[in-house]
Formats: sequence, structure tokens, C-alpha cells
Amino acid sequence: MYKKLALLLFVSLLLVRCGGSDEDSSDDGEIKPVAYDRAKMLVHWADKIIIPAHTAFKQTLANLDNSTKTFVSSPNQSNLDDLRSKWLVSYKSWQHIEMFDIGKSEEIYFKSKMNVYPIDKVWLDNNIEKGTYDLENANNYSSQGFPAMDYMLYGIAESDMTIINKYTANTKYTNYLTAIVNKMVASTDVVINDWINYRGTFIGSTDNTASSSVNKLTNDFIYYYEKGLRANKVGIPAGVFSGGPLKGNVEAFYKKDVSKELLLEAMDAAIKFYNGTSFDGISSGPSLKSYLAHLNSTKEGSTLSALIASKLDSAKTQINSLSDNFVSQIESNNSKMLTTYDAIQAVVVLLKVDMLQAFNINVDYTDADGD
Amino acid sequence: MKFKFIPLYLFIACASLFLTSCSDDDDQGAVVNIVTPPDTYKFQRDGANTVSHGGQTTRLKMASELYSGMKSASSTKEVLNNMFNNGEGFSDATLNGTGKKVGSKTFSSSVASSTVKPMFDSMITDFTTNVIPNWSTDAANGTAGKMTDSKRTVYINAKGHELTQLFTKGLIGGLTTDQIVNGYLTAAKLDTGTNRADNDAGTLVSGKDYTQMEHYWDEGFGYLYGEEADVENPTLGKGVLLSKYAGKVDGSNSPGIGKIIYDAFKMGRAAIVAKNYAQRDAQAKIIQMHVSKIIGYKAVDYLNDYVTKAAAGTPADAIHALSEGYGFVMSLQVTNDGTGKPYFTNAEVNAMLAKLDNFWTVKSSDCTTMAAEIKTKMSL
Repeated sequence: MYKKLALLLFVSLLLVRCGGSDEDSSDDGEIKPVAYDRAKMLVHWADKIIIPAHTAFKQTLANLDNSTKTFVSSPNQSNLDDLRSKWLVSYKSWQHIEMFDIGKSEEIYFKSKMNVYPIDKVWLDNNIEKGTYDLENANNYSSQGFPAMDYMLYGIAESDMTIINKYTANTKYTNYLTAIVNKMVASTDVVINDWINYRGTFIGSTDNTASSSVNKLTNDFIYYYEKGLRANKVGIPAGVFSGGPLKGNVEAFYKKDVSKELLLEAMDAAIKFYNGTSFDGISSGPSLKSYLAHLNSTKEGSTLSALIASKLDSAKTQINSLSDNFVSQIESNNSKMLTTYDAIQAVVVLLKVDMLQAFNINVDYTDADGD
Repeated sequence: MKFKFIPLYLFIACASLFLTSCSDDDDQGAVVNIVTPPDTYKFQRDGANTVSHGGQTTRLKMASELYSGMKSASSTKEVLNNMFNNGEGFSDATLNGTGKKVGSKTFSSSVASSTVKPMFDSMITDFTTNVIPNWSTDAANGTAGKMTDSKRTVYINAKGHELTQLFTKGLIGGLTTDQIVNGYLTAAKLDTGTNRADNDAGTLVSGKDYTQMEHYWDEGFGYLYGEEADVENPTLGKGVLLSKYAGKVDGSNSPGIGKIIYDAFKMGRAAIVAKNYAQRDAQAKIIQMHVSKIIGYKAVDYLNDYVTKAAAGTPADAIHALSEGYGFVMSLQVTNDGTGKPYFTNAEVNAMLAKLDNFWTVKSSDCTTMAAEIKTKMSL
């Protein structure tokens, strides 16, 4: 009986040990009553967020593809309007999957082929002119995808009429537009088809190593938030990393008045992922947030999970205060862009330092800070 | 019999609990490595020097040329901007083509507000487009120009700011202090990626004699000691940034603060060599707090100096002091109280700067109150 008592005491000691940070692979699984269910989180991520987001994106791209075919066969104002609206819908949908740079996406440089901006205008014009190019080549990443379409639909001439005339007058424009849309569709198909197989690998990789799913995707998420969202959409155009603002670097530079809409969509996607909200928005499941809550991590007197959620919301509020058109926002009052950058940045520190520390996950990318 | 068994069992349970400890203490296991600091900041591996901070020395020297450029009537916007943002165009040719830039490291840490750095760009513009063309105009409220009293002549903008002082004192916080206390000496930076595992295993940066963690610590060290002739025997007072004012504070406000900081740098670096990260972080905290205090002391001093000099009827000298004070107040937002927080936030600093905005109408009572607030909050 004493033996049992002692055992009980021993076990309970183990249970209270390190309340909050013993959540990693060092536990061999013999006593893990408090372990967070990483497997369940991965299943939720795959089935309720990643795969549905990709599926929805594929549909918007199919619509974009159809509208492209219609426009190419008869370039006129109504077909241009239709194509432009399909482009925007799809571009917004894209904001929900850019962060998932894992598996096939990572392997085929999906995000580089879909959303590198600013475009290389000289290179892109040259591609149109020549009619021969290799879209697999990294030199062409800034001549394809959504930003290239932005240029093709809004930037190749001054007015709608002159834009349409370009497509009517010369097949090299219709050819290039078709080629880049085909490429977007093809890349997306490769990624989505692979998820059918990759899902098993993804959800099965529950341990805490640099190559495991939780670690990789968490890193991908933070990397995306820091670079794709914070730096590319706000910091770089606002001049945070240069001597002055670079307004030509805003997302959707040629359309212009949708930069905020795209950023908001991206922010919503990030918030949903952090909170574990399903892609369709109607349910929620295990998430970075609930994982943190489970670990009882605190920071500055509040729970870290709630602190991050509230700072994400503050960042979104800041974004909402900006003009739809970031070029004009930068021209009229760039300090508002910078204040927004600060609000977005405030979350980076919490995610990258505090959250990863709580999870005992290493950052798998380094800052190129030139020292 | 069983009675004897139980305590043993418990003892093992407790001992193992103790040994594995909590993750806050990091992964030192049961062994706490005793850290013995060397006499000086000298660290070697197999006889080779492992301390390197050339990039910091370069930036400190760049700041000196910017300081001179920001008070020379022959400067141009293009030249100053090229120096600040592109790291090119210095008269000391060794500073050119290094890839190092002061601008990209100005209020650039993860906790600094991105709204501050553009103020430096604006100062360059203001100086070259407003102050220089009015070099011989008599300054007045709303008019840039020169002002002379029995002590000195200052060249000021329309608000009375002697821009080279705001710029340079702002860099003491924005470049040197921010990089040290919020950049290199933070656990987040020192432990980046696989740094800790690499340091534990003695894995060196490719082609170098140091581990990445050692190097980061040394780079932090370099922002204070990068212009010393001999880092093993530093004298402080070098250049135009932190070292200069660390020397001043050590010689007046807080004798011995220089040794405290130097000893902590030594001890922390030795702790990295000994793989004792708790000790490392404890030393970082000492440095963070004491470096921050240098900013605090000087902000207080110059705000009070302004009041004294204004009352003494030396307006140019008073404006010179207030310009320094303004820069040190700017710098307060990147101090670090040892917990990762500044003694004054960006918003708090902006509120102070708003009170100091126009030197022609600034109230001495505001300066006195502000100095007292800083003194209290930073326990100076």
C-alpha cells in the first residue's frame, strides 16, 4: 500500500513538474496526461483549414481561367470587367493559402510563382514581345502570377480602351495572359493533387523536430506573417527597410485601390489560422492559440494566447484605418503606414520569441540583417 | 522494511524532479557551469582571437562623419542621404563599399517603432534645404538661421533645433543602445535558430574562429567599445555615440558604471564560452539596465542644463543643450529595463517630444518636470 502511495506521489510530482513548458518530444510517451494533442491539431489544420482553403482557391482560379478564355476570344469592356473581378476574387482567396509553404508548395516554389511583387516590368514586357520564356525559371517569378495579371489587366496601357486594343491588335498579349493563367492553374493543381497523399504524412508527423509538421507549419506561419504580410505588404512600401518609401512595391500596384482589401484578407487568414477557425468560419478546433492556452504561458501578466489574439485584432484595426489605396496613403500620410507596421510588428515578437519558446520550437529561418 | 523503501523512492523522485527542473532555467541539466571571467575582454580558441566586431566599428565611424556632415554648410542632401542610407560617400574611404549602413540600423530592432527612423531622413532634408541656405540669416521663431551668444554659435532650423545634435544623440539610442540592449544581447537574438546547440557543440561559423552566439555578443560589445584602441583596456569617451557619454557618466553622474558594464560584458561572454546561459542572460540584464541609465542621466542633465543656460542669458548655449536633450529623450524609447521593456514607450516619448517641439516657445518648467520624471522612473 505504501508502495502504491509512493508511486502515486511520484506520478503526481511528474505531473506538476514544470507546469507549462514540458510540451515536447522529450517525453517518451509513458506519462503524458497533460500533453497537447498535436495530432488532433494537425488533422484540424489539414481538413478544416488548409485543404478547404486550397479547394476554394482552385475554384476561384477555375473561374478566372474561364473568364480569361472568354476575354481572350473576345476582348471587350464587359469581358475585361468580368476578368478583372474574377482576378480580384481569386487574389483574395490566394491570401488564405500563401502561408502554407509546405509539402509540394514549398517544393515547386508555389508562392514565388503566384505572388512576387513588384513585377519586373522590363523582363515581363520582354517576355510578351519575344513570346518565348520559361516560367519555371526563377528569373520569371516576377513576371507571372497575380502581380503579372495586375499589370496585364490594369497597367499595359493608359485607359481601358487602349488596354483592350492591345489584346485586339496583337496576339502576343493574349498569348502571354493565357500562358500565365495556365501556369497558375497548373501549379495549383500540382499542389492540391499532392495534398491527397501528403495529408497522411502531414498529420502523422507529430513529434517535435525541425522537420515535423507542427514545427514546420508554425515556422511557415510566422515567416509568412513576418515577411509575406508585414514586410511585403506594408513595411517595404512604407520604407521601413530603405531610405524612403517605395510606393511602387505595394501589392496590386496597377489596380491600386485594393491593396488594403488584400492585406485585410491576409490578416483575416492569419487570425483565423492562429485561432483555429475553420476555413468556412463555422467551427473551430485545436490551434496555436489553444496550444498556448493549454501550456498556460503568460507574458506581462496576461495569458500569452489571449495577448497575441488581442494584438492581432489591434493590428487589424490599424489596417482598417488606412486608405484603400496604399500608394495614396504613402503619398498623403506615410506615418499611418508606419504605425500600422508597428502594430503588425508587435505580434511578430510574441509569435517568434514567446510562442516558439513556449512550444520549444526553433526558428528555422534566419534574418538577413547583414552583419 | 517497507518504511525504509519509501523514503528512498521519494528521494529518487524528488531528486529527479530537481535535476530535470523547469525549462525556464534552460537546458543545463544538472550541471551548472561555473563561470570565471577573464581579466579583460580577451577570448581565444586554440590560440586564435575569437572576438570580432568590425561592422560595428565601421558604423560608429560613419556616425562621426554624419555628425560632422550635419553641421557643415558645404553638405548636400544627396551626400548625407548617401552616407546615411547607402553607406557610401564617406571621406574615410575604408568606410565605403562595406555594405554597412547606419540608416538600416536606426531604431530598427524588433521593439523599436518604425515611425522614428524617418525623422532622421527628415532632419537631413531640413538641414540641407532650410538651415544651410540660411547660414548667415539671424534665426527667429519660424525662421532657420544662426544664433550667437557669448558661449557659442548654433545653426538651427525654424523650430530652433540644432539638428546635428538631435541626429547624433538620437543615434546614441537608435543605433548603439537599441542594437545592444534590444538586439544582440537578447536571448531571442543570441539563441536564434540553432545557435544554442551550435554553441554547446562548439560548432563554429564557417571560416571563423567563433560560434554564432559568441559573435552576436561581441557585436553588441562592439557598439560600445568598437572605437577603443585596446578593448582589453578600454577608456571610453571614444567617437560621438554611446562610448563618449558612457565616459562622461562614468566620470560624473555614476562613477563606476563603466566598470559594471565592462565586467558584465566580460562575464557574459565567458558564460557563453562556459555554456551557462542563465549567467549570460543575467549579465545581459545588467548591461541593458546600465546602458539605459546612461541615456537617462544625459537626458536629465541636458534638460536641466537648458533651464540653467536659458536663465543665464545664453540662448545659443541653451538651445545647444536642449538639442542634445531632445536627442537623448528620443533615445529613451529604446532603453531596456532588463525585462525587455523600455523605461519610456514610443507614445510616452512622443508626448515628451511634443512638449519640446518648438525651442522658441518651450517652457522651462516642462523641462524641469520632465527631467524629474525621468530621474524618478529610471531610479537615477
